[in-house]
Amino acid sequence: MSDTKMDTQLPKSEKKPESQAVEPTGDIVIDVDDVSFAYDGKKEVIRNVSMGIRCNEVTAFIGPSGCGKTTLLRCLNRMNDLIPTAAITNGEIRILDTNIYDPAVDVIELRKHVGMVFQKYNPFPKSIYENVAYGLRIQGVRNKATLDQAVEESLIAAGLWSEVKDRLDASGLGLSGGQQQRLCIARTIAVQPKIILMDEPCSALDPISTTKIEDLITQLKTHFTIVIVTHNMQQATRVSDKTAFFYLGELIEIDETTKVFSNPSKKQTEDYISGRFG
Amino acid sequence: MSDSAAKTERPKRDRGPFPRKGFQILGLGLQDFIRYFFGGNAGLAIVVLIFICLFLAKEAIFFFPQHHHEYRIYRQAGQEYVDLIGKEIDTHTRLGSTVNIAYLAEVNESSTEEDQLVNALLQVKTAVENRTERLGERLGDARESMEDLPEEIAKEADPAKKAEMEKKLAEARKLEQELAPEWKSEAEAALDDPTIWDLDRNPVRLNTEEKVKIREAVLMAEPAREQDHPYFVALRESSAAKKEKARAKYETFKATIDELRNAVKPVRDLHGELRDVAMENRRVLDKFETAPARKKALIEGAEATKDPEEKARKLKMAEAVVMDTPDYEALNKPIYDSVPKYEEIEPTFVSGVTKAWEALPDPKTLETKSGREKLRAAKASYEDFLKSAENSSEKIPKWRHDKPMSVLKTVLAFFFGKDWITNSSWHEFYGLLPLFSGSLLISLIAIVVSVPFSVAAAVYVNQLARSQEQNFIKPALEFIQAIPSIVLGFFGILVLGTALRNLSHVEWLSWVPGFPMSERLNMLTAGLLLAFMAVPTIFTLAEDALNNVPRSFSEASFALGASKLQTIFKVVMPTAISGIVAAVLLGFGRIIGETMVVLLVAGNKIQIPDFTAGIGVFTQPAHTMTGIIAQELGEVEQGSLHWRALFMVGMVLFCISLLINYFAQRILKKFHHAH
Repeated sequence: MSDTKMDTQLPKSEKKPESQAVEPTGDIVIDVDDVSFAYDGKKEVIRNVSMGIRCNEVTAFIGPSGCGKTTLLRCLNRMNDLIPTAAITNGEIRILDTNIYDPAVDVIELRKHVGMVFQKYNPFPKSIYENVAYGLRIQGVRNKATLDQAVEESLIAAGLWSEVKDRLDASGLGLSGGQQQRLCIARTIAVQPKIILMDEPCSALDPISTTKIEDLITQLKTHFTIVIVTHNMQQATRVSDKTAFFYLGELIEIDETTKVFSNPSKKQTEDYISGRFG
Repeated sequence: MSDSAAKTERPKRDRGPFPRKGFQILGLGLQDFIRYFFGGNAGLAIVVLIFICLFLAKEAIFFFPQHHHEYRIYRQAGQEYVDLIGKEIDTHTRLGSTVNIAYLAEVNESSTEEDQLVNALLQVKTAVENRTERLGERLGDARESMEDLPEEIAKEADPAKKAEMEKKLAEARKLEQELAPEWKSEAEAALDDPTIWDLDRNPVRLNTEEKVKIREAVLMAEPAREQDHPYFVALRESSAAKKEKARAKYETFKATIDELRNAVKPVRDLHGELRDVAMENRRVLDKFETAPARKKALIEGAEATKDPEEKARKLKMAEAVVMDTPDYEALNKPIYDSVPKYEEIEPTFVSGVTKAWEALPDPKTLETKSGREKLRAAKASYEDFLKSAENSSEKIPKWRHDKPMSVLKTVLAFFFGKDWITNSSWHEFYGLLPLFSGSLLISLIAIVVSVPFSVAAAVYVNQLARSQEQNFIKPALEFIQAIPSIVLGFFGILVLGTALRNLSHVEWLSWVPGFPMSERLNMLTAGLLLAFMAVPTIFTLAEDALNNVPRSFSEASFALGASKLQTIFKVVMPTAISGIVAAVLLGFGRIIGETMVVLLVAGNKIQIPDFTAGIGVFTQPAHTMTGIIAQELGEVEQGSLHWRALFMVGMVLFCISLLINYFAQRILKKFHHAH
């Protein structure tokens, strides 16, 4: 992967006013403040979660099934809006110092800044080129040269360029599973978000493809803030800087990954990572 | 029970540790029976389907040899030759009438204003008469007897009868005194009713003054004592004067038209003579063709009778049946002899028409729009005529009654024949083209109208509607399917047809091609109704296709910052497009097979639509393949050529449906395979 290519992308995103407010590494870009969330308005699946996620870090959400980690992830780009009755019942989430549930926020603008990669790779039934160009096309980019450049850069950044450069017009569905997931990542980074949310991106992949994606995540974090939900604790140790452990809708612990895995401060965390339940 | 029987006859078989239990016959258990029962039902349906297909194919396929045979006789009898001349005359007649219509439009429309008012008066008057019918009749009768009786009384000699008549006269007088004011008040009441002023023909807007005049005129037209209102007398006179003026103005135009139309006379006379010859030939040939069958029937009849005298008579009759092959050459001699005469008169005919055509006024100089349009349209007719004249004059000298006829030609004559003429004493023509073009055009209108509505509705319901709306719209649209088509046809005739025609007469819509429509029942009306009928099919299948688009596609699109509409147009619809195409195809299949609505509403005119009218072609009446079967099958003789022709039409429909369904299924399969 070429860093110079990535550098040419960055100025574009820095034109946006929100990004100018953010200092490089270390600043809190996602501020979750006492958030509770319910799908039906009554039973809360997340309760009073507070955390800060820092710029250019990889934060892993771990925890047993049903603990609310995916729900929280989907709150961060308001994908839960698609479910009619689901809503935040308490607290607020601030991304780049803006409450994203404020009525003045356009959810479409938000999602341009907070991209998402899904558990099951889901490229569109279009060509590889069109898959990557989609995000830009819907933003109204028509210029062929701009699109060509963005597609190439995104595919390079996703480590897929050398494998597909000769068949950009072939269907995205014809690729292997791992390639399809990397295509989805390329598609996401093509719109140059600040933050990328990944919802168990490797759960449907074989070990070799998983390794590739994990390498990719490590490379991408120099330019993006990444939040990843994973069931695989080894994966969390391999890719993340911070780890947050959720249990029954509550955030039990969030800290440096090395610390969480070597010396957790809570008993439940220790039980979970040592495999006593989960 | 079978167990106990088995026990006595043979030693009990060792059934091992896992015996089959329960009811069994011949080793088949209950489960097997149920299985075979269901399988049998499915199989039966398929067997019936195959049976139907075979039956259809058998009835239809014999159409071609029979058709070929009839065509051969048509040629041998010289009818083909006569029709060659006939075609030339037909195109000429069409040309003449088109030009004449232009002329008539000029003359008649010169007094449109007056005519419309007079028409309005007549309509209102008829409506009032209908409403006061009983009273009017009685009043009329009384007045008639008041007029007639005094004369009869004067003639009558018998005093007793005279007195009786006088009594009657007095009664009639009294009745008249009574009824006259009553009629008047009833007529006035009718005139006060605003609905009586809804005019369905030539809907003119009447101003108050005109309404008052009409009212007066209607009231003056009392039963049996009609008096014309001076205003309308004046209108009629002015109308006649204007027409007279227009006639005077276009005198040379009219003379040219007459010249054009009269040029045909010698050719038409020749045609008439030859037609009689060919008719007689046909009779002779038909008799010859049926002779063996008749002879056989007589002999069989003779064998069946016991009475020897009767038997001998019948056998004698059978003997008398002439089986000799007719002398085709001699039969057709008058026809061959006419060729020089035809060649002599034909060039003068064509040159006469050409001369008259060139003398016609420039369409631009005409005053009315319809006149100009007709005269312009006549150009196509003129070219048609020239082409047909050339064609006939080329073919006629070469024509031979014994020229071999290929089967392919009769097959093509069915698929591409331009005439569907049945029950004719001359020759029956079975050409599919008028019916096929009618079916196709109607389906085209229906699909063009239906697709946007159905697909948009499907997108709305599947992607945009709230769940309450979904729960309402889906069943409502699917309910359309439950409306019996006869009810829709009924609606089409009474409501839609009338409404469309009235709409087409609105002045500011006259720019729409085909407006104003002359026929209430036409392809447009039928197409619109069929569009409505196709909505549930297309909607349901398209909605299904949209529903099958995986949610993850739209989620991914949203996560990239796409709006709802962008997601629909750029991801969901392109993904579902093959399913939507299949839905449209199946909708088309549904439309082209629909019978009742088109039979009632399409106008049932067997002719190839006049495509020179451009888009306006859609407002012409037409007949369809389905409609013709429904209409004619009940009345044809079983096994006749006509009967087989109808089966052949059914076969064509069957194949069209089969193809459409095949392609739709293939597309759908591909679509499902992709996801």
